Amino acid sequence: MGNTTDKVKILTAFEGIANSRALATYQNHGGYEALKKALTMAPGDLIEIVKNSGIRGRGGAGFPAGLKWSFVPKAEGQKFLVCNNDEGEPGTFKDRYICELSPHMLIEGMAIAAYAIGAQKAYIYTRCEFYEEIAWLETAIKEAYSAGFLGKNIFGTAFSLEMDHYSGSGAYICGEETGLLSSLEGKKGQPKLKPPFPAVSGYLGKPTVVNNTETLASVPWIINNGADAYRAIGTEKAAGTKLFCISGPVQRPGVYELPLGYSFEKLLYEDAGGMLPGHTLKACIPGGASAPVLLPDELKGLTLDYESIAAKGSMLGSGAVMIIDTNTSMVRLMEIIANFFHHESCGQCTPCREGTGWIANIMHEIVSGHAKEEDVDRLAVIAKNMGGKTICALSDAAAMPTMAIVQKFGDELKAYIRKGKAS
Amino acid sequence: MTQQQATETLTFSLNNNEVTVPKGWTVMQAAAREGIKIPHFCWHPGLSIAGVCRFCMVKVEGRPKLEIACNLIATPGMQVTTETEEVKAAHKWALEFHLINHPLDCPICDQAGECSLQDYYMSVGKYKSEMTLKKVLKPKALDVGGDLVLDTERCILCSRCVRFEKEVTKTGALGIFDRGDRAIISIYDDKKISHNYTTNLVDICPVGAFTSKDFRFRKRVWFLKDIDTTCPGCSTGCQVKLYSKPEERRYYRIKPRFSETNGHWMCDEGRHLYAHMNPEKRQRTAFTPKQDNERGSKEQRVRADIRDALAFLKLKMAKYAPSDIALLVSSQLTNEEYKKTFAYFVTFLGVKKVFAWRDSAENIEAFDGLLNRGDKNPNTKGHAASLEAVGLPPVVSKSGFADAMASGAKFFIAIAPENTQGFVSSFDDQLKQLSAAGDVALFTSQAEHAKNPAFDLVVPLKCFGEKSGTFLNAQNMESKLAEKPFFPLNDQVKDLVEITALLQEN
Repeated sequence: MGNTTDKVKILTAFEGIANSRALATYQNHGGYEALKKALTMAPGDLIEIVKNSGIRGRGGAGFPAGLKWSFVPKAEGQKFLVCNNDEGEPGTFKDRYICELSPHMLIEGMAIAAYAIGAQKAYIYTRCEFYEEIAWLETAIKEAYSAGFLGKNIFGTAFSLEMDHYSGSGAYICGEETGLLSSLEGKKGQPKLKPPFPAVSGYLGKPTVVNNTETLASVPWIINNGADAYRAIGTEKAAGTKLFCISGPVQRPGVYELPLGYSFEKLLYEDAGGMLPGHTLKACIPGGASAPVLLPDELKGLTLDYESIAAKGSMLGSGAVMIIDTNTSMVRLMEIIANFFHHESCGQCTPCREGTGWIANIMHEIVSGHAKEEDVDRLAVIAKNMGGKTICALSDAAAMPTMAIVQKFGDELKAYIRKGKAS
Repeated sequence: MTQQQATETLTFSLNNNEVTVPKGWTVMQAAAREGIKIPHFCWHPGLSIAGVCRFCMVKVEGRPKLEIACNLIATPGMQVTTETEEVKAAHKWALEFHLINHPLDCPICDQAGECSLQDYYMSVGKYKSEMTLKKVLKPKALDVGGDLVLDTERCILCSRCVRFEKEVTKTGALGIFDRGDRAIISIYDDKKISHNYTTNLVDICPVGAFTSKDFRFRKRVWFLKDIDTTCPGCSTGCQVKLYSKPEERRYYRIKPRFSETNGHWMCDEGRHLYAHMNPEKRQRTAFTPKQDNERGSKEQRVRADIRDALAFLKLKMAKYAPSDIALLVSSQLTNEEYKKTFAYFVTFLGVKKVFAWRDSAENIEAFDGLLNRGDKNPNTKGHAASLEAVGLPPVVSKSGFADAMASGAKFFIAIAPENTQGFVSSFDDQLKQLSAAGDVALFTSQAEHAKNPAFDLVVPLKCFGEKSGTFLNAQNMESKLAEKPFFPLNDQVKDLVEITALLQEN
């Protein structure tokens, strides 16, 4: 399966449609039919469909969504579904696009997911900077309640679901699923020690599934069209479509819904219209700030799916494709990345708390002309020892781009130190 | 069935040795039992698992990444190694990360000498630091209440203190504020910590972030010797270590040691029960009435050798019928002392007026739910049992002192408690009444008790740090004072076992 890399509009189906956020518009285009259908099926069968569809988590880690759902204990009891709408990975602006186009697609997907895992309560957790998106989501939730798509006995079945919206205070770490749950519980946004995993002990210690907005919004289409139809899109190991956010000095930056396995060069040169005049491609960060940078040589022939990008030593991540041109100083870029992770480390695990600060400090020394060339190699040593050692992946997220930049642009950094300015 | 489940065990491999542990145990617990040292900061056997210091990395065969031993539940057949090159490198770097922003002010830090950072640097560190930059500066020398001074710069954010306040005292008085390398431990809105267990934070702090106001800057720890003994502060009988610089005959602090009685903790009240043993507080010699003094009044007394004082006591007792003598004894002696004391005074001499010298307003049922009890005597049960053993009613009542005063006795042999810190009633009032009661032989370790010149026959006693023996606590558990106690203040102070032996000698 997975043979077409032709474009299909699933998440962006409402592009160009007037009043796309309104419930009436959504229903006119078959909205909530998938939920109606799902409620006639056994929850276990729904999980099987999602498993068979091959959809993987769109938040960054790419964990198979159906498998995640299946980890929830089948026994009766309080369970929760949480939508991770805390879109914070630098370069990523896809989840907010779903909120802008069709929040009901997300709500419908969540209702189906909640039914499948046996949750009675669902939360959408949105980053607080999304003022408009929060208003749109809250309106949509209200509409869904009044139409009976949320609340008691949905479609006259025994299934009832309460849904609420919650917004954090802007911490990047609250986009990590257990950090998000801590925040949702009213605690400081810090990831929780695993095991236990959220599927067993999540929000308030109850079984909880946390899925990304994009993942959940894909669910109605999968239910309407079947697992095979979804699997037919993309590659064998990476099914379906993905939203890619291309940014940087390109002609048409923005969000593109593309089948996984789509050609990077097609995205850059056809969809995004290529580089702006006078700008030359220097590098690309393919999956958000935590993804290692790739050189033009490595980008040749690259396809946008989990395996192909991993084979080049980077990751698909959140689908944030950041184009870097030759005018960009890698010293400055590295400093910005280092500052970001230093600022956002929650501070509970020592290697991350101390390592992110150390890397940022060295970058400040480099930028301000106080560093020695050996400091560049030191960056890589520190980063190497931060990786794979912490509760969550923030430490790795800081370490990976650092190691890649030192490896691929170490000479530029050293030249900067020698000259005292960007080369 | 449930009991079977509770004792269900499993076997796994730890450093190539088969280890059998109860189901549900972590690798850290197993290693601790086996004496295998896995470096750690945040793990503490008396607290929940935080898993944040990332120091206790071990290798599990077949797993790509190292795992933290503290949160790694042992499974059958699991192969764990704690000393591979990869693990050693991880330990070294974990320590480096802990130390890059640590002020390294060991020369002025009270923790020096018993600091995990220092110890681990010697055992798993010994690297040349990669850190070349300025350190993060944070608030220092903060008074956060209780016995505590907090230095957030020394802090390694292991969160033991935060968990202690949440889980043990249930006050949740501490939190970690801000994030990343700006994170600091702090109290909320200047709400100072005010409970009876604050010094435990100093103990569990693996570094010098929390230091004790009481102990701060008083002695480098490597000059201190310690003995295992029992806290005499209440009828709980916490198992403790008592620290002294023996050459000075001076005591510096008390710390809990793990036991079933007290777990890992002890109260602040008990922590202070060393000061009364220091030379300036002590009754150093005996007093006897001034002899051959034409002008002298009855109150005048002279310092005397304890043997002379005891000889004088015997002469004096011979002048009274046993029924005119009252024996007033605190509940703070050891079982061995009671046995000898009652054998001599009650069985041998026939004194039957025996009373307990206790706090007249005590509430022995009081209990704070953790460790501290209203009975401020460590051996109430042993006292009662010893009375029964010599055929007296096993009653140690708070009215003992008043009963003694009303007993019609003419001569009082009064063995005072060494600790009156927790007394609710006025001990001074009792002393005043006693001084006016008639002839008194006062046995005490405290100069303060004997300062009234009306006490013209005084016998100096040892304190608990200088004694061996046993107590019977509120739960009928026997606890021991040190088998090898500290050298006493001088050769004049004695315990009741020695004193009764001297009385019987001549």
